[in-house]
Amino acid sequence: MNLDYKKSLAWLKENLFSSIPSSILTVVTIYFVLGFFRGLFGFAMASDKDWLSVLNNMQLYMVQAYPEEDFIRVWISVGLALVFAGMSIGLWKSTEESSLSDVFSKFLRVSLAFLFFTVVAPTFSSVTDNDGLIQTEESFPMDTRLQLLIPSAILVIVFFVLKNLNLNYKFNKSDLLCFYLAIPIVLLWIVKLPTIQLDSSNQRIIPDPLMPIADTTKIPWTIIFGLFLGFYFIGSRFKDSKNMKRTMSISWVLLPLFIFSWIFKKPEIDLPTILGQDIPIFIGIFLIGALTITFINNPVVEKYFSAYLGILIAITGISLFISIPILLKSALLLLVLFTIVIPAVSSSSKGKRNLIIVWGVSLFTLAVLIRGGSSDTQIIVQQQSIFGGFSLTWLLAIFGTYVSFPLGVLLALGRNSKLPIVRLVCTGIIELTRSVPYITWLFFASVTMAVFLPEGVNFELVVRVLMVTAFFSGAYFAENIRGGLQSIPKGQYEAADAIGMSPFQKTSLIVMPQALRAIIPTLVSSAITAFKDSSLVTIIGLIDFLTIGKVIIGTQSIPVNFVGHDRENLLFIAFFYWIFTFTLSRRSMKVEKRLGLGER
Amino acid sequence: MSIIKTNDVKKWFGDFQALKGISMEVQEGEVLVICGPSGSGKSTFIRCINRLEQHQEGEIIVDGIELTNDLKNIEAIRSEVGMVFQSFNLFPHLTVMQNITLAPIWVRKKSRSESEEKAMELLNRVGIPEQASKFPGQLSGGQQQRVAIARALAMEPKIMLFDEPTSALDPEMIKEVLDAMKELALSGMTMIVVTHEMGFAKEVADRVMLFDEGLMVEENTPTEFFDNPQNDRTKLFLSQIL
Ligand SMILES: Nc1ncnc2c1ncn2[C@@H]1O[C@H](COP(=O)(O)OP(=O)(O)OP(=O)(O)O)[C@@H](O)[C@H]1O
Ligand SMILES: [Mg+2]
Repeated sequence: MNLDYKKSLAWLKENLFSSIPSSILTVVTIYFVLGFFRGLFGFAMASDKDWLSVLNNMQLYMVQAYPEEDFIRVWISVGLALVFAGMSIGLWKSTEESSLSDVFSKFLRVSLAFLFFTVVAPTFSSVTDNDGLIQTEESFPMDTRLQLLIPSAILVIVFFVLKNLNLNYKFNKSDLLCFYLAIPIVLLWIVKLPTIQLDSSNQRIIPDPLMPIADTTKIPWTIIFGLFLGFYFIGSRFKDSKNMKRTMSISWVLLPLFIFSWIFKKPEIDLPTILGQDIPIFIGIFLIGALTITFINNPVVEKYFSAYLGILIAITGISLFISIPILLKSALLLLVLFTIVIPAVSSSSKGKRNLIIVWGVSLFTLAVLIRGGSSDTQIIVQQQSIFGGFSLTWLLAIFGTYVSFPLGVLLALGRNSKLPIVRLVCTGIIELTRSVPYITWLFFASVTMAVFLPEGVNFELVVRVLMVTAFFSGAYFAENIRGGLQSIPKGQYEAADAIGMSPFQKTSLIVMPQALRAIIPTLVSSAITAFKDSSLVTIIGLIDFLTIGKVIIGTQSIPVNFVGHDRENLLFIAFFYWIFTFTLSRRSMKVEKRLGLGER
Repeated sequence: MSIIKTNDVKKWFGDFQALKGISMEVQEGEVLVICGPSGSGKSTFIRCINRLEQHQEGEIIVDGIELTNDLKNIEAIRSEVGMVFQSFNLFPHLTVMQNITLAPIWVRKKSRSESEEKAMELLNRVGIPEQASKFPGQLSGGQQQRVAIARALAMEPKIMLFDEPTSALDPEMIKEVLDAMKELALSGMTMIVVTHEMGFAKEVADRVMLFDEGLMVEENTPTEFFDNPQNDRTKLFLSQIL
């Protein structure tokens, strides 16, 4: 222990006070950092701040105007995502271990932060009174401070001692992650934060006993967490199965599509149609595709393949103009597209089996999306969009990246293509999208886009915004990826050529993986930018996370009066954004490390 | 029977003519060493044989297939012809094992287990079975080049091309690569080797050629080539290098 102390003293001297300028710099920095936190804490604790305006509006923040009777859809989406997450963490279970000391040092850090707060928080803070004058008040009295100081100091000491006992029990890192996630769930049941209740004359009362704020959500969260744990264990049972991992990866890609379809629409489950129409169509078309894949190498089939393809295309062409179920039309179209690529990809029996699986999954997804999307029973809300608050921000970020990333890959490849026409189109799209500010594109989506769409086709505002967002960030992704492509040495292309790889294999197995690896930091910062820029949609009347805090809550007087309390909400929003972007960038640093970028 | 036959092959880079009419034949199982001063067109020539470069005049016939713009022919020839580069060109994002099994799995459509078995066999053959799960960046130059040889052999080629396989290596690593190549030559592989390792040429080659300014100026058996050179260019070249 004594040694430790000496070592840290030496470290201090070497790194912070090595010379006079460096000492000055250290002192000045500490002064400003302390000043910043004192200001922040003072601001947060002043009596004119109403933090209930944040707490009480959580639902508004998350889903805004989404109809309450349909919340189950939101919960299912969140639940499914977390169940998938649990399963994936199990499947890709880390083999690394942490010791008990590491765990305690995490707790030590949290309690140190708490101690820091109790020590640094200012006793006095300034408040604006009713006449708009700034007054000073005692917002953090000394005895309160002492009351907090003693327990937090004890915590710090306890964890410090525990940490330095060097307890060497090892825990798997993935298991630990589940344990950390359990903490907020348990807190939901223990910590009680007051909710606002109104008495008969619309005066606020704080109910007694305190009603926990999370009362409405703690049951669903707990159930979801239980499922998360369950699937984590299932996942870790199967962690050696390559097929499970592959299935999981595909499920992640498909998940947003499904969520999008059932959050947007209220699919009418009409059993007779499904049994009598959808399922036969699905089975029929699936069988045709599967049989073609299976017998593609049969000489007879090979001989008549082009004729068959021709007839198939003709039938599909005709089917577009006669009145048959839309599912049949689109399934036929998918069948044609698939049949064209079959000869190119399936020659080994393993390749065939995989292709049949891909075929089945795509057809099934198509069927579900069409059944969900074609019913008119859309969820009705009073607003421009059923998405609002965090759900809108999240939608723009996730779905925007989800569509724009593949688009960016395609545009980047297109811009490097040998075919002049492809190159021209891709360059055109990239330059056009990038040269106009995002806000202009948003106005384009809200006001002008309808002019460019064929008559009768009309998308919701959110969908239009998603479309321009996809292109806008797609163009940026494309330029980043192109940079990555240029960093691949010519020798890599030649080596791939020399072992006889096709251009498609060369791109997908050799060039793209290396290009993407080289630009992970840029990709992450693009994703972060997209996440934050989503708040610009407020300009065209969509209500995102930021708008709720700044505009909606700050002017809300019914049922509870929160007029003028936008500053605490802004602080909360900043914190919220920070948590997400910070986690993202930390994660990406880990991924970078795992890929060994730094070593090469 | 000749497995490679070229007839008056000419190649221009813009205005500069790198190959000025090369005609030659290689028999099955033969080891041919090409040497010559820098910029004489050695690399260009052997890269034409698997169409990493495109010749503009003349014809190249590999294993009975003429090299034209027909993609099918090019792919067929590339899977018959393995190539080892001066700068290794291993795929840095894949392990040694993945580097070797990539082409058998994706191009030859073999099963993973079969390809891995074969890869281990090849790694044994080039003497580095213990490196299978490492990444190229973790290997020495000599080890990397031997992985590159194993990668090319995994396609079971009939012909192997080597473009200065040892000139990017430290002297102490050159031997291990040359040993692997000797072993390969003894096993009856048809090889074209561009190299300045004259020891290797004397010991292993069936024939030696000298390129100069886009022309083949001398072609002979190793003993004749080194002991009794005919052409003045050869004499000059040998005096500079030996
Ligand atoms: N892509 C290219 N574009 C233009 N000129 C080229 C290109 N590749 C090669 N050359 C030229 O063609 C000539 C022959 O090059 P080549 O690489 O075949 O020489 P080499 O005999 O392999 O030489 P070295 O021993 O230095 O490798 C050189 O003069 C070179 O400058
Ligand atoms: Mg060369």
